[in-house]
Parts: sequence; structure tokens; C-alpha cells
Amino acid sequence: MKQFKNISFIMLVAATLFACDKKLDVLPQQNITPDQIKTASDVKALLFGGYKLMQSASAFGEQYLLMGDLIASESQVDFVGTFTEYRDVQNKTMVANNGVAQTMWANSYTLINTVNTVLDKINLLGDDEKDAIAGEAKFMRGVALFELVNYYAQPYSNGNAGSQPGVPIITAPVYAYDASKDNPARATVEAVYQQVISDLTEAAQSLPDAPEDFRAGKYAAEAFLARVYMNMGNYTGAAQMADDVINNSGLSLVSSFDKCFNNVGNSSEDIFGIQQTSQSNSGTSNGGLTTFYAAQPTGRGDAQMNANYFSFFNDDDARLYYYYEGVSIGGFSGYYTRKWEDFYKTIPVARLAEMYLTRGEANLHSGEQVGDASPADDINIVRSRAGTTPIDEPTVQDFVDERLRELGFEGDRMLTLKRLQMDIDGFSFDDPKLVFPIPQREIDVNKNLAQNPGY
Amino acid sequence: MRLKFLLLAVMLSCISAFAQQTKNISGKVIDVKDGSPLSGVTIKGKGSSRVVTSQPDGSFSISLPADISELEFSFVGFADITVGISDNMLVKMSASEKSLNEVVVVGFGRAVKRNLTGSIAKVSGREVENFPAPSFESALQGKAAGVVVESGSGKIGQSIKVRIRGTSSISASSQPFYVIDGLPVTSQSQSDVNNDPTNPLADINPNDIESIEVLKDASAAAIYGARAANGVVLITTKKGRNNQKTQIELNVANSWSNPSRKWSFLDARQYVDLIELAATSDGTYDFKNDLSGYETLDDAVNDYKSFYEGNILDYFSLGTDWKTQEVNTNWQDQLYNKDAMSKQIDLSVTGGNDKTRFFISGFYNDQDAIVINNTFKRYGGRFNLEHNASAKLSLGINVAVSRSQLNRVSNDNAFSTPGQLVAQLPISPLYDSTGALNKNTLYSNGLFDAQFNSDEQVTFRTLGNAFANYNIIPSLSFRSEFGADILNLDQQAFQGKETIDGGGIGKGNFITSQNVVFNTNNYFTYAPKIGENHKLNAVLGMSYQQGDVSQTFSYGEEYPSDAIKNLAGATSITASSSTGFRYTFLSYFLRGNYSYKNKYLFSASVRTDASSRFGPENRYGWFPAGSVGWVLSEEKFMENISFINFLKLRASWGLTGNAEIGESNYQALYGVSNYPGLPGYIPNQLGNPGLKWEKTAQADAGLEFAVLNNRLNGEVDYYKKHTTDLLLAVNIPATTGYSTILQNLGNMDNQGWEFTLTSRNFDGKFKWTTSINAGYNKNKVLNIGGQVIEGGGGLQRAVEGQPIGVFFMQKFVGVDPETGDAQYLDKDGKITTDYDQAERMVVGKSNPDWTGGFTNTFSYKGFDLNILFTFVQGNNVYNGGGVYMTAGFFNGFDNQTTNMLNAWTQPGDKTDVPRIGYFYGSGSRNSSRWLYEGSYIRLRNVTFGYTMPKKLNTALHITSARLYVAGINLWTATKYPGDPEVNTQTLGNIGGGQDFYTIPQPKTITLGLNVKF
Repeated sequence: MKQFKNISFIMLVAATLFACDKKLDVLPQQNITPDQIKTASDVKALLFGGYKLMQSASAFGEQYLLMGDLIASESQVDFVGTFTEYRDVQNKTMVANNGVAQTMWANSYTLINTVNTVLDKINLLGDDEKDAIAGEAKFMRGVALFELVNYYAQPYSNGNAGSQPGVPIITAPVYAYDASKDNPARATVEAVYQQVISDLTEAAQSLPDAPEDFRAGKYAAEAFLARVYMNMGNYTGAAQMADDVINNSGLSLVSSFDKCFNNVGNSSEDIFGIQQTSQSNSGTSNGGLTTFYAAQPTGRGDAQMNANYFSFFNDDDARLYYYYEGVSIGGFSGYYTRKWEDFYKTIPVARLAEMYLTRGEANLHSGEQVGDASPADDINIVRSRAGTTPIDEPTVQDFVDERLRELGFEGDRMLTLKRLQMDIDGFSFDDPKLVFPIPQREIDVNKNLAQNPGY
Repeated sequence: MRLKFLLLAVMLSCISAFAQQTKNISGKVIDVKDGSPLSGVTIKGKGSSRVVTSQPDGSFSISLPADISELEFSFVGFADITVGISDNMLVKMSASEKSLNEVVVVGFGRAVKRNLTGSIAKVSGREVENFPAPSFESALQGKAAGVVVESGSGKIGQSIKVRIRGTSSISASSQPFYVIDGLPVTSQSQSDVNNDPTNPLADINPNDIESIEVLKDASAAAIYGARAANGVVLITTKKGRNNQKTQIELNVANSWSNPSRKWSFLDARQYVDLIELAATSDGTYDFKNDLSGYETLDDAVNDYKSFYEGNILDYFSLGTDWKTQEVNTNWQDQLYNKDAMSKQIDLSVTGGNDKTRFFISGFYNDQDAIVINNTFKRYGGRFNLEHNASAKLSLGINVAVSRSQLNRVSNDNAFSTPGQLVAQLPISPLYDSTGALNKNTLYSNGLFDAQFNSDEQVTFRTLGNAFANYNIIPSLSFRSEFGADILNLDQQAFQGKETIDGGGIGKGNFITSQNVVFNTNNYFTYAPKIGENHKLNAVLGMSYQQGDVSQTFSYGEEYPSDAIKNLAGATSITASSSTGFRYTFLSYFLRGNYSYKNKYLFSASVRTDASSRFGPENRYGWFPAGSVGWVLSEEKFMENISFINFLKLRASWGLTGNAEIGESNYQALYGVSNYPGLPGYIPNQLGNPGLKWEKTAQADAGLEFAVLNNRLNGEVDYYKKHTTDLLLAVNIPATTGYSTILQNLGNMDNQGWEFTLTSRNFDGKFKWTTSINAGYNKNKVLNIGGQVIEGGGGLQRAVEGQPIGVFFMQKFVGVDPETGDAQYLDKDGKITTDYDQAERMVVGKSNPDWTGGFTNTFSYKGFDLNILFTFVQGNNVYNGGGVYMTAGFFNGFDNQTTNMLNAWTQPGDKTDVPRIGYFYGSGSRNSSRWLYEGSYIRLRNVTFGYTMPKKLNTALHITSARLYVAGINLWTATKYPGDPEVNTQTLGNIGGGQDFYTIPQPKTITLGLNVKF
């Protein structure tokens, strides 16, 4: 009897010991796992993640814009800060392990992977919104690939787009690392452009004309297509895109130049803008446009205006006066653009003013007239808003200069000079030093990636 | 009723005795040394199950069957003896073989050291008590071979790096696993991740500790399987004993601390001299190389002098006359408290009878660090109780509660930290002409931060463990333990408007963290009697551990003034969130120990662990271990070798694991994104469902001996640890959308020797004991997939074929006597003066080869003296602040160390200090120029005590009283110019051995009193 009691006691204890296997399945509390993407709104949440990645300092929050302007810094930007990787971009002395080259690359592909996941899960959406969400995802992928090919490859205007290495094109999400297929080689520049055109075209076809919440719509896709076509020298295509935005988007130039910037929400001429708040922004201490472009004490004040910038303006041009004097964190005094004066404000990524300049210049190149305005009309609508005298017979150079006046510090200059095969800071437009290195880290881990010349 | 039950139990167990004739035997047990009675000695009739314990006066009485002819006496710390029965026995027990017969705590049980087949270092509570540091680990340093303790800095409350037999992981933690009275406890920092990690073990009162056992080899540790690859530290708190007279013990101690070592910085006269020297040097360089086109050398030098004098000397002296050193500020003095005071008082009551045993304590501690604004205050209590409910059932609790308050300074790398005050210029006055703190210093004046900032964290800690023991049959018992470690931490920081960190607007944050670890252990212990020659002891059981952590934090800014320091004063909240995570471990274990004739010892164990940290594919890990021992001194052939009293060989092999990688690392994860108006998810972690345990196989061979009448005894161990399947963050192409994936890749070795030797030189009225312990460890990274893994701010690496954490940088090879240029080695091994051509290479390592301690203990009558030296040999220390404080102004006008006065000035100068100068100085970038030998010998502890004579005790109505004075870190020998015992990289595996304005270890004098009633 006693033995039996003991045995049953042991059995009882043993049984309780073996009962907590289920406790080992623990779900994370501030992340979700991929199998928790189950509904249409889950997929849309992933899509919205893409906007956060576009807001990053490694994208439109800073580097997509600032890096181009540091490459084409002459008459525009002087970087007086201590960050070596930024100084090296301006001096065209980048090394293969440049930190910006690394973060911009990585963030862009994180964006691509995010929207590829959206596209993979697109069937969780109903037919009423499936196409529009897919279009939005493709917009982001097209934009990211376009920015990558602009920075990490020779320009399309180089003439060898079919053989020049571009960047890897990734169109499927990565759920688990597979060394045999996740070490992609670089596609050609031509192939990247075709992917970008395909993505943006599909986006333009399926996105709404008037999106909510400052999301990307049809005209955002078209504005980027206009840039793509300009780079390719497809002036008719560029003019058509710009023309459609001008005529049909319902947007209009704001009344005065200074109202284009430091807005909460989009202005009436913002085709696409990145939104920021005090709790969601591209950075306030070591990253973000305002961090570098605003003088102390707001920002670091590392990115000052080059004094020669002022020589491009007539005295009656309101844009000439859109600056202030200040001091950098390193103690250098200088001039600062007001475009990025305040934290937590909208970053205009594509403005209507650019479309006028694009349509006008494209028509000038092609000799056609897409739309109801002449190149002079287009350049002057932008000039008159700034209160300066019109140009009767604008040349291509006038458009190049006008773009610097209107779009300076907005990341336009490098693209404009490269596509027109113009020298940049004394370097030929296709000089390897004007191209970012493929990050050394990527070369180290992916044997299929070829490095750019000079690194 | 219960009494009846007990009676029944006793009757049952003695049933055989009743069947025969019995006799009564009585006597007394005394200590052979001084004849003092021994209380609590276990007395057993040989061949009988009847057991009694001796009374406080040493007397005992036992009734036994008539055929029993011998009694066995055993007592903790004394040699077992067997004595023939006689009338009025007087039994003398000897402590001479104490170390061999010592009882040590092992995982889920106890064992006698003599019979161990694993490697366990025991440190008694006596050796860590009253040590003037918040946490007991500090006191462990130099006490156990192979256990390397690094306090890291003289700040208090910081995490303490402990490495048992080397670093065995790269990406996972290498800290040991801490278990208090069977309960695994939280030992990882819960504080703000933007500051140094803190030490939750500081919540434990060191004076509550009875003993600390460090399980070093796989045989000892594998019973903790997957948690044990970094070694296991078992802490046992004090308990009451059977039939112990209630004893009240009072400890009071006061300590006064000052920095153990200071840097030698320039005073105002020397600073002005060095500035003038820099001006001359720059001017000369400019002129000789025709850089600015000066007509004469004098023109050049004068021009540079006017630059330096105007911009530095005139500007920062605030109108005082620097030429006559009107101001000569010693900024280094500003960062230290003079005679930083610590107070400690604790009171404990311990006692018990044959039914109930208890230990109750209360403590209060108030410590000031040597650095300003860093204090630690702790109070709390402990209650340990065990009660025999019946002959079969005993149960009890161990509960400790405490409140700790730590006031902290910012980390070494922050401008605001007091350690960086040394960069300010000696010509800068402390106060400006209006009497206010000087705002016009070279760097923002950290004294503002010292005055207006606060960073206060309060921890409430409850450690509770309830247990029950049930003896199912005499040879089989079951023990169940349920415990919880509840840690609540509130951290409130404020940075005033005028301070560096306050940014002109005032900033604050509030962080709360709640960390609850629940644990249960349930196991059977089976110790059957299978004949005289065979001893078997087996343990089978399980444990389950669940940790739940939740945190909330808020950051705010824009305060109206410094008056309100909590977030109520912040008019803008910039970030706020709450997070949580859970982890679980489920484990089953089995261990068997068998010995034959106390001569041949065998032990085998196996444990399986499963954890939420791994996916279902590889969730379970198996961790077997086996060991053998051979007590040669029991063999016949050894009988004639009389000088050898004890000799044992042992060997073990086993597998242990590591899973200290944090939560959800095998899962693919999407994180939350907060784009305005569009809340979303971003894929942020790639899953690896096949992720599994990092495993360390360890082999150990040991020799234990006692010779010359047990006067000299010691232990030698050789071990080899081979870690495989390292949990490593492996780089993958970013085109995947991710940059790393956690994989089981690579392996690493540690091997080494450990020596422990104790000699009782004199053993009469004058006693003198010498003991030395030393550990040698050699680490080698074997394979990490050809990756470069950097740590320690990019200055250190894991490199295949090298020990972990080598310093990897440009090698400085002296100064060109002609030009004063710093010289480096290029990739071909040739000398270059061009830093860009200098090759980065392995120039040193942060982990020592040898560590250990050397203790001499003397006692005579009431006096006792204990002297402990600790040493560390074979490591390097890098002075990361060197690029500022020993760089000849090239990187700023920081005050310099005095060796800069030896700088090169003209061709032909032979010196190791390159040309100085803000413009044309040389050698100012990171290189082995600032890498020093880190070896040191330190007089770690000297304690001199006096115990009052017994006569006086009676008069004062006390049991005993001891007065002592102790000195900590009174003397150090090292080649390092600062304190070698610093590490700004805190707990890093790769980073270590770096000094960056780090606060040195304190030098402390303690005066204390211990009274027992």
C-alpha cells in the first residue's frame, strides 16, 4: 500500500513536469511574424512601411537629395562639416567603404523588399483596391531602382546603357536567405531603366488621380517617369508626362516661392512630398536634410550655400533672397538656404515647377510642342512666380540654370548635368569619380557583384 | 497529531533497533585545536541508521543496538572519524583536512569536495563579506583560479565583466549564469541602453552569502546544460543550523575612498610651455618646408605664437595673466570626491532547533563613488526559513527584498561625463569674474552637467523561493522549488538647460522596467545503500524558467526651467513607447554519481534544454557530460608513501550550451513604422528556423593532492574548451533587404591551466597560511567564415587564428629623429611616415594570459592579518583618450599628459613623442602608440583585525567582537600610465581593455566592527 502511494506520487509529479511544452512557443510582442499578414489592411500596413523607408535620411529624408547636390556641389553647396564620408562625396574622393554609399544602398533594397512583399501578398486584397495598391508598391520600387541606378551606375547618357552595369533588380521578396539565389549580379543600366519604366508606367495606370494622406498617386508616377525619360533623352515621353501632370493633376503653382517649403502637409504644387512630424522624421541630430542644411542651433549647419550660387540670379529674383546667415557646429559662418530651415516639415520630392521646366526643355530639345505652351512660356511661368524678368528665347543652358535657381538643394543638379553630358565640378559627366562605389561590404559578401571602376 | 505522526515515523525508522537490545552512549565532541566544544556534529552508529547531533556544549547522547561497536562523527569542515564506543567518550575532531572534506554546493545537490570529479571553485562568504563595493563579484577577483573579474571602472553600480575560463562566444553573451539558492536570477542590465550597463546583482547583500561555488568544467556545469557554457556561479545564502543557539550578529563598517591612480597632466606653467613649444614647432615646420612663404624663421615662429597665444592662452584664461600662472586649475581634482565615504551596517539573527532553522538579516548601505555624482544606496532584508513538518517532509522559504538607488553619471564617451573634465585647460579658471561657473571653457564645462543633471534609478527587488523536501523512502527524496525574481526599475534622468546634454532647452526621460523571472525545479534524489564499498547518488528532475520583461519609456524636452525634473515639466514629448518580451526554458536532467571504495569515482549527467529562443526545428539541445576520478592515496601501493596524504586524479568531458542572444532571433520579423498618418510594418529581420544552440565541448583533467601532514594541498587543472556552432550575426547581401542573419557559424577554442596551492606554514598559536591561485587561458578564434567582425569602436576584431578581441590598428614604430614624424609599418613591413600607407594589423590583445591571487593569512592570539595580491599578465590596455590627451594638440588644445614635454623638437632628438603642433603635428591618429602593456600586480586587500579576548566578552555580555581595518588597492605595479584595471567597453566580447577617460579603481580604507551576541 505504501509502495503504491509512493509510486503514484512519483507518477503524479512526473506528469506535471512534462506538461509545459507549449510554453516554448512565444510570440514577439513588438514585432509581427510574416504569417500574421492575413488581411487586406495588413498588406496595406506593409505598403505604408515603404513610406517610412522613403522618409529615411538614407532616402528622400536626406541622402537621395543631398548626395546629388554634393556631387554637383559647384556653385551650389559647400560642405564644411567634419563627417568624412560626406566631405569625400563633395571632394569626389569616396572610398569603397563610404558609409553613405552603404546606408543608401541598404535602405533602398529594404524598401524594394518591403514592396515586393506587398506584391507577393496582393491577393489578400479585394479587386476594388488590388490594382491601386500594386501600383503604389511598384511606384516605390521604380523610384528606389531609379535612385540606385542614378547613384551607383554610369548615367544613361553615357551611351552604353545596354552594356554598362547598373544595379541588381530584385522583384521577389526574400523570406529566407538562400545563398544560391540571393547573391544577385548587377543588371545592365538599360535593364534597370526598363524595369523602372515598367513599374512607374503600371503605377501611373492604376494609381488614383487624387490620393489620400499625401500618398503617391498617378501624377507622382508620371513626374518620376518624366525624370526617367529626360535621363534617357526621350524628350517626347518626358514632355508628355510633364504635360499630363500640368494639365490634369489639378495642382497649381503656389503664389510665392517661399511658400513652397517648410509646410505642414503638401502645398498646392507638391506632386509628391514626404511628410514629417516631431515624432516621425528623417532625423534631428546626425541625419536629415534640416540637420545638415539648417544653421546652428537648429541643425548642424554643415551644408552651406556656395557664394557663387547668388551670381545666377537677377536682383529682382525672389529666390535670390531665400537664404539667411548662420554658423555651423564647427564654428564656420556662412549662408544657408531656407528650403530646409525647419524640422518636421514636408519635403517636396516633386513640385509642379519642375514639370514646367521639364516640358519646356524637352520641347526645346525635340523641336515638338507637346502641350499648349512654348518653352519660353514654360520657363517664364516659373520665373514670373519668382518676380523676375522673362526670357524670350530660352536656350538649353537657360533651362539648366533655371533648374539650379528653382530646384537648387533639391537634388536635381547632378541628374541635369549628367544627362546633358555637362562637366561636373571639373569632371567629365561620365567620370568614374562621379559614381558611388558599390559598398565594400556588399562586394565582400556577394561574389557576383562587380565593383565600379576606381574603387 | 503531527507529533504522533513524527513519532510514528521515528518508530518506523527505528523498528529494527527496537527489535534488539539497546544501549545508551554519551560523550562530548571537541575541536582538537583548542578544546572548544563542537556543536552540530553528526553522530551515527556504524552500521545503524540512528543519527543524532551534538549539543551546543558538544555533548551528545545516542541509544544504539548492542551489537554496534563504533560511532561515525562527521562535521562540516572537519575530517570524518570513526571511533570505538566507550563510556563518556571524548572525541576530538580535527579540521586539518578541511579543504578536502568541505561540502560544496553543486547543481541540484551537495557533495564532499574529496569525492568531486568536476572542477568547482568554492569561495566562502567570509571572503566576500564587508568588501566595500556594491556587488560580491568585485570581491571574487583573485580568489578563484580561472575566474577573471573586471570591475571596468571606479564608477559604482556598473556591470562587472566575469569570464570563467575565457570568452566562449562572439555575438552572444559570455557572462556566467548566476543561480541563488537554486533560483536563476536576472544579472543583465535593465537600465537605459544609452548609458553603461548596470549590475542587477548589486541588489544582493554580499553579507548574506554563505558560499559561492563556481562551476568551471563541463562535468560540474553540464547539469545546467544550455545555460552553462560560460560557467555557472552558485550563490548560497546563510541558513540557520540544527540546534544552534540563536546568534545575533552586527556588522558596521565605514570606508573612505580615493582614486588608486591618477594621470599626470600638465599644470598651467607646463601647459603654457607646451603651447609655446607647439607654436615653435609649427612655425619651424612651416618655414623649413616653405609652406606660407615666411621670410625668416623668427617671423614664422612669432606668427604662430601669436595665433596660439591669442586663440588659446588669452582666450581661455578669461583675462587672467597666464604668463604668471595666475590661474592654475587642476581639473582632474574636480572630478573626484575627496575621501568618498561609504557606510554599511547590517544585522542578522540566525538560529534553529531540530524542527526549525532560520536566518534573518537587514542591511543598509550608502556608498559614494570616488567620482562626483555617483552614489549607491541600498537597504533591504532577507528571511530564510526551513521547517521540518514531519520526519519526511521539510519545507521553507528564502526571501530577500531590497531597494537600491543608483545615481549615475553619463558614459565615458559623453562630453558631460566628469571623467572628461581632465581635457579642460589648467589656465581656465573654475569661475568667471562674476563668480559664476566658467562657461567659456575649451569644451562645454561638464561641471554644469554635474550641477544640473540628474540620473537616478531605483530598483525594487524581490527574490523569493519556496521549497519542499519529501523523503519518500529513506533512500529516495523529492524536492520541489518554486521561485521568482521580481525586479522593478524606475529610471529618471534630467539634463538642465545650461548643460551640454540639455541642448539649451532641457531634456528628460523616464524609463520603467519590470523583469519577472519565474522558476521551478523539481527533482528526485536517490541514494540507495548498496553495500559498504558502493556509493550511488542519482538525481532526476526538471526545471522550467519563464522570464517576462516589460518596459516603458518616454523622452521629453523643452522645460520652462530646471525646477521641475520629471516629465511633467517637459512641454514636448518626443518619443514614448512600451515594449515587452518573454522567454522560456524547459529542461530535464539526470545525473548519477557512483564511487567504489571511495577510490574510483564516476559521474555522468545528461540534460536536455528547450527554449523559446529557438524554433521548433532545433528547439531541444542535448548536453551530456561524464567524469571519472581515482583517489590514488586510497590504493595499497600508496600506503607506504607517508608524505602523501591525499592524491586524486580526475578527468571530465561534457557539452554545455549558450543561448544568450535575446528573444525572437530565429523568427522572421516585421517591425512597426510610424510614417505620419500611415501606420505600417517594415520587414526588419530575416528568420532562421534552423537556428540552434551554441555548443561548447570541454575536456578537463585535474590533480588534487595533500602532502606533508596535509600542510600543503593543491589542485592543478588543464582544460580545453571548443565552442562550435557559434551564434553569429553573419553578413548577407543587403539586396535581400536585410544586412545580417543570425547563423550557427564558426568555432573558437579556449585552453588553459589552473593552479591552486595552499600551505599552512605555521599551525600553532601563531598561524600562517599562504595560498596562491593562478589561471592561464589562451583563446583562439578558429573559424568565422572569413568575416571581419569588429568591436571596441572599430579598434578591435575577431580575427581567425588570433585570440578574440585583438587590437587591430596601425603599428607605431617610433619617431623619425630627423623630422619628428611618427613612423608606422606599411603592408610590406617597411617603415612609413604616411598614415594612409600604414597597414592595420594585430598589435596586441585585451585578454590576459595569466590571472590570479596570492594570499597570506596570519593570526596570533586575537590578531589576524590577511594580505591579498592580485595579478594580471599578458594583456594590453589601449588609451582611447590618447588621441586627445597625448597627441600634441593636433586634435585639439586639450590639456596634455606630462610626457608630451618630451616631444621631438629638432633634428637629432631621440624620443618616442612625435612632433607636436595643431597644424603640423604628427602621429595623432589611432595607432599602437597608445597601446600599453596592461599587466599589473595590485595589493588588493590588506585586513588587520583584532578579536577581543573572551573574558571581556563575558563582561560585555557578547559572544565575540572583532575590530578591523582594511585597505583596498593600496599599491599597484604596472607600466600603464593610468589605472590598468579599467574597461570602457564594459561587457564586450571583442571590445575590452580600453581606457577612455575611464574612472580608475578606488583606493579604500575601511574601518569595521563585527559583534556577535
